[in-house]
Amino acid sequence: MPKRNASSAEWQGVTLLGINRRTTLQQKEMGVLIATIATGILFTIFARNFISWANLVTVLTMASELGIVAIGMTFLLISGEIDLSVGSVFATIPLIMAMLFVYHGISEWIGMGIALLVAAGIGYLNGQITIGTGIPSFITTLGMMMFWRGIVLALTGGRPVAFFGRSTLLAILGGLLPGGVRAVSIWFVVLVFILWLVLEKMRYGNWVVATGGNKDIARELGVNVRKVKLINFTLTAVLAGFAGCIQFARLGSASPAYGEGLELEAIAASVIGGTSLVGGYGSILGTFLGALLMAIIRSGLVLAGAPAYWYRSFVGAIVIIAVIINRKLGSGGSQK
Amino acid sequence: MRDPDALLEVRGLKKAFGGVVALRGIDLTLERRQIIGLVGDNGAGKSTLIKIISGVYPPDEGEIQYEGKPIRFSSPMEARGVGIETVYQHLALIPQMSILRNFFLGKEMLRRIGPFGFMDFNDMRGICKEALEGLGIRVRCLDEDVSFLSGGERQAVAIARALHFGAKLLILDEPTAALSVRETETVLNYIIEARNRGLAVIFITHSLHQVYPVADRLVILEHGRKIGDFKRDEVALEDLTGIIRGTQTKDSS
Ligand SMILES: Nc1ncnc2c1ncn2[C@@H]1O[C@H](COP(=O)(O)OP(=O)(O)O)[C@@H](O)[C@H]1O
Ligand SMILES: [Mg+2]
Repeated sequence: MPKRNASSAEWQGVTLLGINRRTTLQQKEMGVLIATIATGILFTIFARNFISWANLVTVLTMASELGIVAIGMTFLLISGEIDLSVGSVFATIPLIMAMLFVYHGISEWIGMGIALLVAAGIGYLNGQITIGTGIPSFITTLGMMMFWRGIVLALTGGRPVAFFGRSTLLAILGGLLPGGVRAVSIWFVVLVFILWLVLEKMRYGNWVVATGGNKDIARELGVNVRKVKLINFTLTAVLAGFAGCIQFARLGSASPAYGEGLELEAIAASVIGGTSLVGGYGSILGTFLGALLMAIIRSGLVLAGAPAYWYRSFVGAIVIIAVIINRKLGSGGSQK
Repeated sequence: MRDPDALLEVRGLKKAFGGVVALRGIDLTLERRQIIGLVGDNGAGKSTLIKIISGVYPPDEGEIQYEGKPIRFSSPMEARGVGIETVYQHLALIPQMSILRNFFLGKEMLRRIGPFGFMDFNDMRGICKEALEGLGIRVRCLDEDVSFLSGGERQAVAIARALHFGAKLLILDEPTAALSVRETETVLNYIIEARNRGLAVIFITHSLHQVYPVADRLVILEHGRKIGDFKRDEVALEDLTGIIRGTQTKDSS
């Protein structure tokens, strides 16, 4: 950090930035980091085998599918929009893939390609409707959440599509690596890295933050706000669809009932990680930790012998606590 | 009569909003390296005038010449593209973003790695620091969010940015309305610095006392008409106050 201590006589100007109240990377993720460490300590004490390779691998696997959905959500939230249809898309896309592949004998690669294109189309449509009509994305995607859930239920008659054969693609997506690590964890970590890079280091990330921060100023300064939002809606849906495909690969089945409530978990992971619900502020690393924390809670409760029902209450409390910590640290546009 | 040195000339500018007539035919010539104090009561039409110049509204009637060519902006972006920068009090910077990111927003400098362009923070940092220090602004941490800056500091950043990205005409609409006396003085210093670098500056205020010491020219609007246009050196502050109070009517040559 460049510091300058010139005598004030040389300067007529005001002193800018006297105090380093926040260097972006240091504090953005502080709330979730504290919460994760505290929860980790808690379970280390109360849950047997919490600190074990097997459990760490399990936690990462559980965090991954949710996390892939959540990092897309984070991008969208930062740009000032929301997508409640990710859970339905998470169910729809692998079903399209599975039906093409299992029922129609289409190669799984092409099947997934088509399915992800459909996901892109769904996200793009969410964006077009929201931007074109000016209605809030909360409404657009609430409608879409019900719409696509209904479509897949109708298409499948409510029955899952299963596949238990061998497939290179499915192994790449959801297979087991040495040491018990799931391929999905690798996908998650790679995607987190890429989206982090885009958000923090690339021009597009700057535009995303600016769009959610104040779209009028961003537009004035030459940011194509509309395009940024459309891209983010599309990205969110594609990532939700991709996460669904990964789950299909891991479980060998796609069900129209999967992904229910996932939209709220994805939003929770983002918010726990410090992302603002009103846009203009957020962190991919925070969301990574947020998803990890939620998985820690899930597995920790099981290992501690507590009924799984407690999971929701625990996560609910964490959402509130993490956001309070974030505010106390003075980070984020959420308080303005 | 056309002035060949003029940066901007408007002729017969009229604008109405429904039944409300905001401008009733304004003529105005702006020269380079000049600070124009644009004064007048609330509702006189000052903001409307500069919004037409900066591309926010189209005029109902009248013409605008910029650098000798007739021009009609269809957006503020277009005006900015040819060097007309407006610093609005609240519409200049994104509060949740750092000073550095704000400074280069929409004009980020990139370093290519393969097919990908990454923001070149080192170069941007150096340039931003230089641009701010050129205005006499001390720089300690460019990574601080703009929301932590005072109103005057925000304007300083916005002005420095406008200067850096090649503004020829800098417009400030009541920039000092929410500032302390000391901050106002500082902003006035930035404006003088901008003028010294060759820019034309339009400074809007309803405080004549504030703008009189720094302006090269004073233009007075009332009810959508220009009721005075003086070189500062040719008019006394008392006379101007008289005109604004309506006790005198006088026009310059
Ligand atoms: N967008 C608008 N819609 C309707 N009336 C407006 C609009 N903008 C300005 N006016 C009216 O035009 C007149 C001039 O306003 P303005 O240019 O803002 O004055 P000033 O900046 O000198 O205070 C006022 O009567 C104002 O109410
Ligand atoms: Mg005004």
